[in-house]
Amino acid sequence: MNIAAWFGLLSIALLMATPVLLAMLGEMLTQRTGIVNLGVEGQMLVGAAAGFAVTYASGSPWLGMLVGALAGMALSSVHALLCLGLGVNQIASGLAIFFLGNGLSAFYGAPLVGQQISGFHSLAHGWLGHLPIVGSFLGQLTSTVYLALILVLLCGLFLYRTQWGLVWRATGESADALRMLGKKPVALRIAGILTGGLFTGLAGAALSVDYTRTWVEQMTAGRGLLAVGLVIVARWNPWLALPVALIYGLSEALALRLQSMGADISPYLLGTLPYLVPLVVLLLSYRASQRGTSMPQELVGVFRGMA
Amino acid sequence: MKSRLLALAAALGLATTLSAQPALADIAVGYVYVGAKTDGGYNEAQNAGRLYVQKDVPGVKTNFLENVPENAQVTQAMERMIGAGDKIIFATSYGYLSYALELAKKYPKVTFMHCYGDKRAANLGTYSAETYEAMYLAGIAAGKATKTGKIGFVAAHPIPPVLQNINALALGAQSVNPKATVTVVYTGSWNDPAKDVASVNALVDQGVDVVASHVDSPIPVIEAAKKRGIKVVGYHFNDMKFDPQGWLTGVVENWGPVMADVVKQVEAGTWKSEAIHGNLKSGTTQLAPFGPSVEAATRTLIEAKKKEIEDGKLHVWAGPIEAQDGTVLAAKGQSLSPDKIASMDFFVKGVIGNTK
Repeated sequence: MNIAAWFGLLSIALLMATPVLLAMLGEMLTQRTGIVNLGVEGQMLVGAAAGFAVTYASGSPWLGMLVGALAGMALSSVHALLCLGLGVNQIASGLAIFFLGNGLSAFYGAPLVGQQISGFHSLAHGWLGHLPIVGSFLGQLTSTVYLALILVLLCGLFLYRTQWGLVWRATGESADALRMLGKKPVALRIAGILTGGLFTGLAGAALSVDYTRTWVEQMTAGRGLLAVGLVIVARWNPWLALPVALIYGLSEALALRLQSMGADISPYLLGTLPYLVPLVVLLLSYRASQRGTSMPQELVGVFRGMA
Repeated sequence: MKSRLLALAAALGLATTLSAQPALADIAVGYVYVGAKTDGGYNEAQNAGRLYVQKDVPGVKTNFLENVPENAQVTQAMERMIGAGDKIIFATSYGYLSYALELAKKYPKVTFMHCYGDKRAANLGTYSAETYEAMYLAGIAAGKATKTGKIGFVAAHPIPPVLQNINALALGAQSVNPKATVTVVYTGSWNDPAKDVASVNALVDQGVDVVASHVDSPIPVIEAAKKRGIKVVGYHFNDMKFDPQGWLTGVVENWGPVMADVVKQVEAGTWKSEAIHGNLKSGTTQLAPFGPSVEAATRTLIEAKKKEIEDGKLHVWAGPIEAQDGTVLAAKGQSLSPDKIASMDFFVKGVIGNTK
């Protein structure tokens, strides 16, 4: 394969990985405060539908992305209300959010199916696309890919380089310690859930407004659930979110590339690559790590059924 | 609390399937769709058939349910329709077949029609379109349009109707461009827009400059083709408006007349269960209008070939047909047997891809 082919593969991987990467960042921020939200898929769907609707009505994809993100946040507030306000089990509440988002988006999104939007301008003809060697590759990427990369940077800096980031992480490690410092873990957890909702709504809108320029019910096709799993592979670390999302995207791109090259492998087997490869990475990285898991300690309670 | 919430969520999930109000009239006809009726694809083509029936058959009332998944929910949906007085049920999605067969036993006085099904009952008939005839014609347009000689095909699953379309497209393209190849990528799903887009991108990176598809809604494929500036062949429905510049033509299903005949026959008491196979001649499959980039000479050629197919002078599966590996499937002067066509499990020469 020549350099153009590698760039081609990488651009497919990045485009495909972007919605998953955004959802991963969101769920990571939520889980770092000690809350699990399994409703990511539902929040993505609501974000995708709302984002598409607003882009369709206003003609502005940026406005669509914003409203999509807010719609995801609105749905996540139900999770906050249920598990922080009413003490509902987080797993059950998350699943309820998943089904709720699925139903709401399919119901209110029905009139949007088959509608046409214009989406973002292609970057292929701007200055980016005219750079030597890398121009065609960079021009192939879209606005949301660059947005996601910037957000990786911001999340990493926030969590590891700011005072608030330290407090945020402490919420997930020991709520008691935080209380002793005079901070309110509940407020931080609300912030964690809502920020997660914002990011996952944005992820859904990126899928409908930018990547596919289409809305259809259940269009996330399990990528929200996948993102929850990939958070574990990335060890709750935003810096690792990018490579992990890329591993997923590259497996997806490679499966398609092998097919289009006429490889004599069942397409169904190839279709398992995007799930198989991260799983292998997870196993290898856990074996290689001497420090055990990097799971936020407050999450342990969730899986023991205490929270 | 938990269970109440889950019940609420489930109810909202179901709400998607309860949006229509069946009404009583002379004869009421119910339609069940697996997706949205405006998907620019499979379901919109079915719904266009419903609208035709509504117009064409006096006194008929139609109702529909959208987004009904291929599981026990479809049984529930159809029973609701029957309970509300529907005498004919169009179960339009392939995965509804086993549920429709069960209900056909339970409600012998209701007529069921299933699309593309391979099983029937006394009160359950099937209807299908030999879309490969139109796909062959679209292949001519694709073969003329491609500069690289590489055509792409985004397919959901390797099943006979899909393989028929891929092979027909390749044969049509090769009839005007002997070196043309068709590269196939499977998405593994009828409805995964993100995978459709990635597939188109993967194909374009391999040098493909014309792409066709067989998934429920071709819109994501058309949008991706537009972004990459390549030509596109539509499927199920006329979606030219999504990319007039890149649009070559499309293979369209025209169910209206077939459905109207069934309704009229049931009303008259003359309906008998059969497997209806529509084709170009019956008008059940058609070619969508040409895009502006299709040259006049190509249009004339396609019209001429269309006439030949309708008159029975040109048969898509007439030999010589060679398989991918060069095995002769039908020699010159012979044709593939109807069985071999119906259970198609091979690719013709020039198709790059896997059939399993």
